[in-house]
Amino acid sequence: MLEKKIITQLRNVVGKDAVLTSREDLNAYSYDGTTTWTHAPDVVVLPTTAEQVSQILKLADESKIPVTPRGAGTNVSGGSIPIKGGIVLCTTRMNKILDINKTNLTATVEPGVVLQDFNIALAKQGLFYPPDPQSFLGCTIGGTVAENAGGPYCVKYGVTKQYVLGLEVVLANGYIMNLGGVTVKNRTGYELIMLFTGSEGTLGLITKITLRLIPMPPANKTMMAVFDDMAVGGQAVSNIMASGVVPAKIEFVDNFVLRRIEEMTPMGLPVDAKALLLLQADGSPAAVEAESKQIVDILKKSGAKEIKVAKDASEAAMYWKMRSAGFAATFGAAHTVMAEDVAVPRDKLVEFIRKLDEISERTGFFICYLGHAGDGNLHPSIFTDIRNKEEFARAQKAMEEIFEAALSLGGVLSGEHGIGLEKQRFLKKAMDPVALNLMRKIKTILDPNHILNPGKIWEEERV
Amino acid sequence: MAKSKQDRYEQIKRFEADLTKCMKCGFCTFWCPVYQEERIEPSVARGKNMMIRGLLAGELDYTKEYADRLNKCTLCMTCTANCPSKANIPNVIVAARADMVKARGLKFPYNIIYRWLLPRRTLFGRVIRFASWFQGIFLPKTEGTIRHLSMFLSALGKGRNIPQIAPRFLRQMVPVVNKPPGGVKATMTVGYFTGCMTDFVLPDLGKHVIDFLTRNGVEVIVPGEQGCCGAPVFLGAGDFDTGRKMADSNVKAFEGLDYVISDCATCTSALKDYPKFLADTPEREEAYAKFAGKILDISQFLVDVLKLPASAYKPSAQVKGKKITWHDPCHLSRHLGITSQPRQIIKSIPDIEYVEMPNADRCCGMAGSFSMYYYDLSKQIADKKVEAIKSTGADIVASSCPGCEIQLIDSLLRNKVPVKVMHIMELLE
Ligand SMILES: Cc1cc2nc3c(=O)[nH]c(=O)nc-3n(C[C@H](O)[C@H](O)[C@H](O)COP(=O)(O)OP(=O)(O)OC[C@H]3O[C@@H](n4cnc5c(N)ncnc54)[C@H](O)[C@@H]3O)c2cc1C
Repeated sequence: MLEKKIITQLRNVVGKDAVLTSREDLNAYSYDGTTTWTHAPDVVVLPTTAEQVSQILKLADESKIPVTPRGAGTNVSGGSIPIKGGIVLCTTRMNKILDINKTNLTATVEPGVVLQDFNIALAKQGLFYPPDPQSFLGCTIGGTVAENAGGPYCVKYGVTKQYVLGLEVVLANGYIMNLGGVTVKNRTGYELIMLFTGSEGTLGLITKITLRLIPMPPANKTMMAVFDDMAVGGQAVSNIMASGVVPAKIEFVDNFVLRRIEEMTPMGLPVDAKALLLLQADGSPAAVEAESKQIVDILKKSGAKEIKVAKDASEAAMYWKMRSAGFAATFGAAHTVMAEDVAVPRDKLVEFIRKLDEISERTGFFICYLGHAGDGNLHPSIFTDIRNKEEFARAQKAMEEIFEAALSLGGVLSGEHGIGLEKQRFLKKAMDPVALNLMRKIKTILDPNHILNPGKIWEEERV
Repeated sequence: MAKSKQDRYEQIKRFEADLTKCMKCGFCTFWCPVYQEERIEPSVARGKNMMIRGLLAGELDYTKEYADRLNKCTLCMTCTANCPSKANIPNVIVAARADMVKARGLKFPYNIIYRWLLPRRTLFGRVIRFASWFQGIFLPKTEGTIRHLSMFLSALGKGRNIPQIAPRFLRQMVPVVNKPPGGVKATMTVGYFTGCMTDFVLPDLGKHVIDFLTRNGVEVIVPGEQGCCGAPVFLGAGDFDTGRKMADSNVKAFEGLDYVISDCATCTSALKDYPKFLADTPEREEAYAKFAGKILDISQFLVDVLKLPASAYKPSAQVKGKKITWHDPCHLSRHLGITSQPRQIIKSIPDIEYVEMPNADRCCGMAGSFSMYYYDLSKQIADKKVEAIKSTGADIVASSCPGCEIQLIDSLLRNKVPVKVMHIMELLE
């Protein structure tokens, strides 16, 4: 519990209705998109300006109160859970789009702007911001920067970090620091912007973001391919990438997820398919025509059982809506869903799929997966029940094997969801110890009292 | 212990499937009209659902804050319509309201109004009439037929522009049996559920509906024993006991009729909700289900059952040459899936121009008692609707829910937007 004095001070900073303290309201900030992690904060604060954020952090730093930054709470790694209580600093009311510049191809936004609201505003001006985490209806841009999120478009266009040009960050001591600017080129000193991009709220509070944009590609085409073997589907992805064409998106859905989606929203999906690839080509109409021909050709040669090319925008939208229901399909399947986020090099995708099959067979756990096949970023999920201690322990063991398999192929622990609480047990295995130590030192320099999102990324020990 | 806990959350347990379906993805934040204004997690379906889970887990209790968060939902169903898991959180919210009311009772003045007044139709009419006298004495007429209601009704209206109580109620204007005029053969008989608003405030609309139907060969029965649909009582306030009494008497009032039509989307939807929320015995289950099967929205009846030709829809004098847009009431579009029929009717009218407004099915923020508890919030939600209406350049916004219509009239007046609000039936000659 916090002292009453602190609550009063917070109210003085942001106003009465921007400080939530009732048990009911605290409960609403105790969870995120994960199935197992919950912890309530002592207070929730909803600032509207960087100055307010600065004052809140100063106050917290002086009294050593934990501060957990939160956007929309859609992350799936436990990142926004106030595991040590204290203050949840929520940015949802900092939601102004400050500038969209068609000549510079940049936009400047407050961190609480919801990605879809941003997309709608850009589309009106014929502009496009590619990083598209499938939580775009909920997630905030601040959250996506703090998680360095990616999505289907990243095969061709890269992840969030490729688009961040400038940041305003409030440091733990309350200093409002500016980094970068609006130019695409900037060689002034270290790339400190990259330090905060993907920092999961542990280094500072992002209060303003300048992003690089591109013009909206004038045409696109969506294709769906059916396979009766996962690995054959994986090979098709490798074949496409090696052929010199880079589709905008290549997504993977397995039979289990496919069936669940069809169950939830019947749309006539081929429920017998062992694996489904969803692809999109985009660009000028002529390029799209040529590329999609080439893609369809390779898909056929690679053994696709059935290929559908969406006739129009509404059919395409249906397929992509199906893809975005994948999360609900997986997470609704069991009491506890361990959904992982490993990524392997694209040329190891088939080998990785084979290893998953093998682990599933050996451990007896059904492993379902869907994900960004074009990036080698699958989300293998194990269904279990945390209330069943023995089974849960075995499930964790199986998950560890999945990590190891990915790492042994030159892959990484997390492609896009971040470490948060969920994956910190494995961090030591996945990182060079010297680099890990360097990270800790950086953390301590920027946040000496460890008030910012304590308990995340690594199991805390002071350096 | 386990038994008493079971009873305590009896209604919530009936909707446990919806409660557990939520995956916490947070997509509902994008759609929820309340969240879009407040931008805090307890406003949105995910937060409310987790609050109810907290209650079941024994972590939360019936507090003032709990009641407040639970009540702050318009039940517009936009969250459910867009939920990847199809979790119907509004179901859970209504059920949770019911369990809370059962445990804690209703607060003044709502206990008097809901438990005692609304179920007594004639008395309710007299009280409203009484209040309307004062309305005329104490307050000047504002624009059009809109006045500020005084006295105890203003406790409900909170100073909003609400329509004047009619000098004569519909039930006093029309007989029980309304036969087609001479020369027109009766092809069908329907019951007409008039609803409180049409009966007490918009009797001319009711009269018009009856005339339109009889002219088109439909015999219209207006049973005197019918009462309030119960929406504010069992959906808004969670008072299922009183809701059952109202449901029973409405079911009885329309016995023997194959179709019951209503010109109020909220009433239509509430009548159809009887089996879902109020059926506590096998007998009621059967009776309510049968009753719900007879209920039709007026536009649905005209298009799907009566199958009137386009030529039957002629413009009334005041709409000729006008530009008309349509607002989808939540209770019609998302609750009942009726969106094409009213559009088909309006588009059939010659000499008018139809224009679709952006986000026509976005909640207007009325939601009955919601707008009494949270008038300011309700206004903010409505202002977005006003913007959408304005952007069409329409002269008239049509709808088919008197609740929405009151909200639209109030909001358009407040924003000084000279667009006329009409019921879809008023567009027709
Ligand atoms: C259905 C679903 C699909 C998803 N699909 C994808 C996907 O395809 N790709 C992908 O990458 N992710 C995906 N995610 C994960 C998630 O949406 C992203 O991680 C997203 O970036 C989180 O944004 P948020 O606003 O919800 O942030 P939150 O969850 O609130 O916070 C995330 C982290 O960022 C920190 N943070 C938030 N705002 C700030 C700030 N202003 N300053 C500093 N730190 C901050 C928090 O402390 C926390 O550590 C998905 C999630 C769901 C539920």
